[in-house]
Amino acid sequence: MSASVEPVVRTLTQAQLQAYADASGDHNPIHVDEEFARGTPFGGTIAHGMLVLALIGETMHEAFGERWLATGKLKVRFKAPTRPGDTVTASAEPAKQNDGVAEYAVQCANQHGEVLIEGRATVAAA
Amino acid sequence: MTSSSRTSISAFPRGHEFPPARFTLTAAAVSAYLRATGDPGDYRGNVPPLAAVALGLDALQEHISLPQGSLHTGQEVEHAATLRAGDELVLTGRIAQRSERQGFVISVIEFEIAAGRSAAIRARTTIMAPAVVA
Repeated sequence: MSASVEPVVRTLTQAQLQAYADASGDHNPIHVDEEFARGTPFGGTIAHGMLVLALIGETMHEAFGERWLATGKLKVRFKAPTRPGDTVTASAEPAKQNDGVAEYAVQCANQHGEVLIEGRATVAAA
Repeated sequence: MTSSSRTSISAFPRGHEFPPARFTLTAAAVSAYLRATGDPGDYRGNVPPLAAVALGLDALQEHISLPQGSLHTGQEVEHAATLRAGDELVLTGRIAQRSERQGFVISVIEFEIAAGRSAAIRARTTIMAPAVVA
């Protein structure tokens, strides 16, 4: 049976979006320019998808350590935007285990229960 | 780098191969990434794979511009080996798929990040971008 994984819960801030832009080099104004973003269909800035996805990476690393770093696989779709102030819960639920690989259904959801990211992760079984 | 050296992602045909991009994820860069994401984990000198993917995508933007309205709609990442902070990395990538729908071009960038001879990370990034207007 696959191991259970503790969720990561984090509230994202505009300052964090700016810090991520600096760290990743992705300064797309939709993430960091509030005046520009107000004029887009989103009506405000949204988080980098890769920043939100990092919460799933953190969840899996916390559970599996170097095994995740060396053998992990992740396949996700970005379903909805994440906004500054959103509290995101990243979770991984055991799905199945076979051929020495444990598979998890992963997702990020906001405080309203809206799914932001959804997909599958696998890691070599212990 | 000038903006004229970059081409809208929606203009690249399927099969286009990007020149190899070389970059290094220093320990300082990894620390900055972990602070930005809020990840308190101890990676013991290893690189979070998604940090390598994020910095790899940044390296690709030497060639690719993302027009206003572009969306990152999907991501696949496969870890084949652990990367260490300070490793010299080489990214090779190509447009693996391209389709058009309702004024948007959906492109899948497939790339590998290698440290030394073998690929440590394989990834596929799906971008939906407004079609280029001639």
